[in-house]
Amino acid sequence: MTAALELRNLTKHFDVRTERGRGVVRAVNDVNLVIPDGQTVALVGESGCGKTTIAKLVLMLEQPTGGAVMFEGRTLTDMSRRELKNYRRHVQAVFQDPYASLNPRLKVAKIISEPILAHDRPERAALRKRVLELLDIVGLPATAADLYPHEFSGGQRQRIAIARALALQPKVIILDEPISALDVSIRAQILNLLMDIQKQFGLTYLLIAHDLALVEHLSTQVAVIYLGSVVESGPSAEIFAAPKHPYTQALLNAVPRPDPDFVPVAAESFDDTGSALAPPGGCKFHPRCPHVMPVCKTTDPALTPLADGRRAACHLLTAEHSH
Amino acid sequence: MTAPAPLLEVKDLKTHLHLRRGIVRAVDGISFEVHEGETLGLVGESGSGKTMTCLSILRLLPRHGGGRIDGSIKLDGAELTTLSEGEMAQDIRGQQVAMISQDPMTSLNPVFTVGDQVSGPFLYHKLVRTVREAWKKAAEGLRRVRIPSPEQRLKNYPHQFSGGMRQRVATAMAIACSPRLLIADEPTTALDVTIQVQMMALLKSIQRDSKVGIILITHDLSIVAGLCHRIAVMYAGRIVETGKVRDIYKNPAHPYTQALLEAIPHLGQKRERLAAIPGQPPSLLDPPAGCRFAPRCPKRMSICDEYPPATNIGDGHVVHCWLKAKQ
Repeated sequence: MTAALELRNLTKHFDVRTERGRGVVRAVNDVNLVIPDGQTVALVGESGCGKTTIAKLVLMLEQPTGGAVMFEGRTLTDMSRRELKNYRRHVQAVFQDPYASLNPRLKVAKIISEPILAHDRPERAALRKRVLELLDIVGLPATAADLYPHEFSGGQRQRIAIARALALQPKVIILDEPISALDVSIRAQILNLLMDIQKQFGLTYLLIAHDLALVEHLSTQVAVIYLGSVVESGPSAEIFAAPKHPYTQALLNAVPRPDPDFVPVAAESFDDTGSALAPPGGCKFHPRCPHVMPVCKTTDPALTPLADGRRAACHLLTAEHSH
Repeated sequence: MTAPAPLLEVKDLKTHLHLRRGIVRAVDGISFEVHEGETLGLVGESGSGKTMTCLSILRLLPRHGGGRIDGSIKLDGAELTTLSEGEMAQDIRGQQVAMISQDPMTSLNPVFTVGDQVSGPFLYHKLVRTVREAWKKAAEGLRRVRIPSPEQRLKNYPHQFSGGMRQRVATAMAIACSPRLLIADEPTTALDVTIQVQMMALLKSIQRDSKVGIILITHDLSIVAGLCHRIAVMYAGRIVETGKVRDIYKNPAHPYTQALLEAIPHLGQKRERLAAIPGQPPSLLDPPAGCRFAPRCPKRMSICDEYPPATNIGDGHVVHCWLKAKQ
């Protein structure tokens, strides 16, 4: 299993000014993650945990403070312009809001052909043929090519955005909340489409989502992020069946289910998520953790491999391990 | 046993928006009840009319929308639709019926302190005489929604609160005058799951203490499962199915409700493929004459061109579908 993308010690800090002077927001801290070829890796966490910053680093919309994103064994920062162009061809994105991500002044055919024209110089007829082919893949009629985005519903727009992401036959697609802006009855259509094209073209997905049910459905691997650091990662089937880190457990217990007998567990603490500007010392989750021990307040647990192939950062698990 | 009179009784409510393009039938003849101490989940997609229903109850339709309300809305037996705007403002809104909106970022005014805003309802409804008393009440209000150190927090501005805390502030404002009915419009959609659970627990405890009736608007069937007593499923301006929460989940009768439950991934029930609902919701400018869901329904019959009557299939479980209609 080769890695399509690899994040090595990826770190991003933002300098900010606050009432009390200058500060540093530690948005992403030393994140190590392998995104294997043909799989779907989901980044999970509360808002402000840094999952979108990671996606931006991968898309080169931000430059890392430390560490690197690796593609096909090469670090992005070492790549030549030519290699970077190749990277951009192979790493595409589908964003949350199809009302914002499509240019309202361009016809659909133009929207889909823009990435192609940025990389290749196809003949007009060949380009048109490719556009119609892409529309067909995402389940839109050929007549859609000559319409504007406002003539489509949310679900159809997301199909256009997916067609645009597919235009250059990429290897990796970053899916940033791909269905959360869509109507409930439309979501399954788009989810099924995403799963179909993944199979058809052997795509690798990096999924960012807050909806854990969606993550369980779509992903093969999960990385749970808390205040910029991975606290647990591994195969999603195992993590969803038996979460090991107390934060993962808290997240999963909080998800409502369509079952009147299921009572979601409310966290005891009324503190909201800690701040990435002034993260607590030791384990960053300790102020909210129900199993907090003295060691948690002083030492940040390292991400340790567990027996079943997953990794978790928690003193409870390492203590268990050493016995 | 005679059932007690409902707190809110909506009968054949129609809210039509008269626009230049035509008439948008946002709410098209719906009836439901909410009892004291009961939570009704109003579930539907965007554009199904759930928010318009609640804005109609409060008579807060968009000013330039050309909205017209028909039918009857009774609160404690008193008709609301015939009240004047002044009576609605002074006696009903905030006083008897209050609302929590989806996004606490936009429902709170960023240029006033939280104290100014939470004390507002007490002064407006003349429950206290001085600003000082109103602030005291406001501090009590924040304590009721479990915001720590309320006296200090009153002096803060909304941006100094986190999303979950802001929604608590909005809740404190809504319950300021101890309303009989609380309308919560997607109160947790903008919040993280962990905070979402806390918010739901808060609503539950408020209801336990005050016997307030709650209408919970949402698009997510999972959220309402743990909190609601009864559920009404809306589609394209109509209620297609109502019933006790258990009946709706264990035994959904309308093809739309069934499809909704099938079409969303649920935690702990991984399926290979979701059963997608084909097509998209109809335009409310020109909805289908018969059953609104018929064009997308897998069990469509020729009779579906006529609107199906309400059929009671037991224990207050009412469905509008020809499949269940008594022959």
